[in-house]
Amino acid sequence: MTSSRTVSRLSRILALIPYVLDREVVDVNEIMDRFGYTEEQLTKDLNTIFVCGLPGYGPGDLMEAYIDEDDVIIDAAEFFSKAPRLTPSEALGLLAAGMTVLGSGEGSPALESAVEKLSKVVMPDADTSLTVDVLDETQNVGVLRDAAADGRVVRVVYRSVGKEETTKRDVEPWSVFTTLGRWYLLGHCRLVDGQRTFRVDRIKELGVLDETFEPPERVPEPGVGYAPSKDDITAVIDLKPAARWVLEYYPVDVVRESSRTTRIRFHSPDAEVPARLLLRLGADARLVEGPEVAERLSTIGSSLLARYE
Amino acid sequence: MQNVVERVLNLLIYLLESPVPVTSSDVRNTVHGYADQSDEAFHRMFERDKQVLRRLGVPLKLEAMDAWEIDEGYTVDPEEYAIPDPQLNDEERLALSVAGRLVRLGGTEAGVGAIIKLGGMERGDGIEPLGADLGEGAETLGELFGAITDRRRVEFTYRDHVRPVEPYGMAHRRGHWYLVGNTPDGERVYRVDRIEKLQVGEETDAFDKPKDFDIRSVVDSQPWEAGSEPEVETTVRFDSEVAWWAARSLGLAEPDGKLTASVSVANRDAFVGWVLSFGDSAEVVEPAELREAVATRVRESLEQLGER
Repeated sequence: MTSSRTVSRLSRILALIPYVLDREVVDVNEIMDRFGYTEEQLTKDLNTIFVCGLPGYGPGDLMEAYIDEDDVIIDAAEFFSKAPRLTPSEALGLLAAGMTVLGSGEGSPALESAVEKLSKVVMPDADTSLTVDVLDETQNVGVLRDAAADGRVVRVVYRSVGKEETTKRDVEPWSVFTTLGRWYLLGHCRLVDGQRTFRVDRIKELGVLDETFEPPERVPEPGVGYAPSKDDITAVIDLKPAARWVLEYYPVDVVRESSRTTRIRFHSPDAEVPARLLLRLGADARLVEGPEVAERLSTIGSSLLARYE
Repeated sequence: MQNVVERVLNLLIYLLESPVPVTSSDVRNTVHGYADQSDEAFHRMFERDKQVLRRLGVPLKLEAMDAWEIDEGYTVDPEEYAIPDPQLNDEERLALSVAGRLVRLGGTEAGVGAIIKLGGMERGDGIEPLGADLGEGAETLGELFGAITDRRRVEFTYRDHVRPVEPYGMAHRRGHWYLVGNTPDGERVYRVDRIEKLQVGEETDAFDKPKDFDIRSVVDSQPWEAGSEPEVETTVRFDSEVAWWAARSLGLAEPDGKLTASVSVANRDAFVGWVLSFGDSAEVVEPAELREAVATRVRESLEQLGER
């Protein structure tokens, strides 16, 4: 088994040596700061370098590495005059991180030139081969973050995800976070008098009120997910293979599965979402159970046919 | 761990300095730390150490030692080992390291190890954590990224089928990573988290990528644009309660009330589904062909209901 700690430690040693070689002597504090070393760790790594070298391992074969007063000195290590290249994961991680922050509008000119220089060496055609979204709601995100920091209540017009309806709510914003490519607001919703997570892109209107609130002592860890409540309606639906994509886009339970039909249980705060889903699936899905959904589907269906006929 | 660190350093120096490929018995007899081991213990240690080298980014290769290719030996080309220097200044390095700490890739901080190789990071204080996570396994992503930059062919299992792909690029959209590449059936898009049994080809520069390829034009098309059918111009009317949401999806300015929008459609099936996702709050105005398609889909849904 390869230990990650071994790899990280070696990685730092192999970056430290060329850095010092390049400059001949470097101040201990600069090294500790730059490479994130404690003094003890640095001494340990220098002592390790000191006992390694060329086969033969005699006095003339080993590298030199020590601290002299306040300077780090490394010598006889020409073979390590460069750090090892980035692994593809490291290169992608750094490039994608830079592109993400730039895309958020929070990047600096220094980051912009850093990403450009980095992509030149790791992926010269990065601008047409790699693209990272995440954060294109900068305006609302900025407003919400400020409101959370100042403890000010916000008023939002919000289009619910589970319930296809638009509501006006007052929310005490606790934190703004991003995951899975979207921005979310976590806070206390006064409309439902409970903790809620909102998708920032579904906020139609946003205003900051003068009213302030006391944030909870500990803001809960942000999380995203649909938690069914006891008031939910449930529908059982059979999907043909062409409609199997539903499993990936809606929080459903699979009841049973065969090559021809997948039976799912769909939880939703109202009948609208499953009814619309059934509408778009046409002959590829069949409602097995769920009287509220059946009723809603036939209402929207008739209303639609009246528009088209 | 101390022994492993020393042994791997010595092994790497030996490999970098040796002018010819070296066999595993050369390693065993020469490099400090391997002697006095049983065959089995040596083998285990050496396998593990090679693994450590690869994870460090060392380009360890196995090459034929002679023209008859009977013996094979290990080599590390010093030129290939050395990091290509992007010549970052400290300000740029700091900006990158901050970004690397903000953005996570598959749960791990994306760029901390990388920034150390690029000359270390200055630790800035008072940075607000954004906490962006680009999701998914960093390992598969890394392998695919390497294949894209080296132009290596890949093969993987996707929805129970084996797909050979010439990988062109990667995109992160709405929480998922996508791979775009060329296949025997033309250009395709794959969700990275569904890729199984990924194999990366040995050969580099194994294919040409079209000069005008642009990942964004592939992944940023709407479902109803992504199709091979002859394009048709449609007009859709949205009631005021959904108009703003439709406008956002279409990239249009937000209307005050109702919205009537023109939409180009190359995938009729996807278009019908999208219009119906607005329930009875949206209506296709023209063409007649697509009005009929929507009405047909609605009738089918109602028929399914009747059959219960």
